[in-house]
Amino acid sequence: MSVDLSKAGMVLATSDLSAGYDGRAIVSEIAVEASPGQVISIVGPNGSGKSTLLKSLVGVVKVLGGHVKLGDADITNMAPEEIAKLGVGYVPQIDDVFPPLSVKENLEIGGYLLARREIPARVDAVLEVFPRLKNMMTRKAGKLSGGERKMLAMGRVLMLSPSVLVLDEPTANLAPIVATQLLEEYVRGFAEHGSTVLLVEQRAKAALRISDWTYVLGGGRVVLAGAPKDLEQNPVFVESFLGGGTRPAPTK
Amino acid sequence: MSSFGFGLVTAAVLALATVGFTMQFAVTNVLNLAYGSVMINSAFVTYYLNIHGVPTWVALFGGVATGAIASWLLNQFVFTPFQRRNRPPITIVIVALGVDLVGTFGLQAIVGGSYVSFRQSPGHEYHFLGMFFSGLQLVILGIAVVVLGIIHWLLRYTRLGKAMRATSANPSLARNSGVKTKTIISTTWLISGALCGLAGTVFALNTGVFEATSAQLYIVLLLAAMFLGGPGEPYGAMFGALVIGLSTEISAAYVNPQYKEVIAFVALLGMLTFRPYGIFGSEKTL
Repeated sequence: MSVDLSKAGMVLATSDLSAGYDGRAIVSEIAVEASPGQVISIVGPNGSGKSTLLKSLVGVVKVLGGHVKLGDADITNMAPEEIAKLGVGYVPQIDDVFPPLSVKENLEIGGYLLARREIPARVDAVLEVFPRLKNMMTRKAGKLSGGERKMLAMGRVLMLSPSVLVLDEPTANLAPIVATQLLEEYVRGFAEHGSTVLLVEQRAKAALRISDWTYVLGGGRVVLAGAPKDLEQNPVFVESFLGGGTRPAPTK
Repeated sequence: MSSFGFGLVTAAVLALATVGFTMQFAVTNVLNLAYGSVMINSAFVTYYLNIHGVPTWVALFGGVATGAIASWLLNQFVFTPFQRRNRPPITIVIVALGVDLVGTFGLQAIVGGSYVSFRQSPGHEYHFLGMFFSGLQLVILGIAVVVLGIIHWLLRYTRLGKAMRATSANPSLARNSGVKTKTIISTTWLISGALCGLAGTVFALNTGVFEATSAQLYIVLLLAAMFLGGPGEPYGAMFGALVIGLSTEISAAYVNPQYKEVIAFVALLGMLTFRPYGIFGSEKTL
């Protein structure tokens, strides 16, 4: 990745966070921190609350207790569009593009908060990062392959040069080779260019390979945290997530 | 061929109405069955301005403004509170039906049940390819072409139009992209309401004489055109309106014209049975 699209990263942190739906907490007492230049990954079994945690950070799910901070600003329960304005880019696991809109229109919506005259240059910059999208600018996003679609989803958030990237299982449903490229080339690349990257990932091994720090969620709580090399030495983690045995039962 | 000409004018009026109707459904997820009532109320505002000396084509702006404001108020004070409480779509449909009855028969209580007409001459008659149009009908066709062209430009080339389409496709992602969807939804109600007011006025102009309940069955034509093209698809709505407008007028040359709505209803049932997402829509639209 040769083009720097990100602003200087900011620290995204939670303290004693609980969040969920209809007043019922799915995640509780969560304290995570992601710093600039780092990839922070969150792994855990299905139903452990990983996606709910990310959604609560970007204003999609209600925070029921505790705080979310972006730098010095408290962004707890702020509207998603305000959080986007502050420089947090979010790529959801599914429904990550606007299917009836063309690739170009998806990128333009990604740059909705920019001045009109800034958009063409920004689109060009995003296309330098994802050159494959260049030849499909008029194609509807709903007609893209899984990998192309995910590149578009990331391109869309890069339009605003986010300080923090929040990525929910960006490799879901992708072929292993595409998933590896996406994580190692792009996701790691964003952090190396100064962004803060918070990543939820099912492929624990792949996530560890690109992460600086990893949180393990179970039953809606952080049950383990550490540097990847330390987690790889942890027998419980290895047994649960790196193919050493049975995974913990879903808790949702 | 003469019925084809009538069909084109009917289709033009229907297209104006259906595009507004389907935009409301696409962006706000409300099947606004009170649309016909707003149409006829707008037509009466234009009519009263007209009979008080305002030229028809100036008074029409009164009808457009009435449609826009009434639709915005409906969304703000009727539909949004129900949606905020997470009421199921069927509740909104029933509420809209209630609003339609109140709007139509409330108007009838005020203006009475007599037929009225604008102070507007139909103008000269023009003949093309076996079809004949009055000057008034040509103006209606012209208005439809220009306004639908503007809607196309709005949706395809403007920031607002793209934000409307993004909000329609995925409101949550639109918000995460920085789009203030509440503002976009309010604006959609204003624009679609303006179309509703315009459609009501040209509908009344095209029928010549009208009364408070004249647009009550119009919802059947609207639904048929919308489901034919694909719910929530503005371009589908234009296509659906053309097919329904032409087929109802051409069929009226062979069967009793009073059965026009029946033809549309049969088309609606056919689409709901075999392709409920319409010709331009996808299964995901529903």
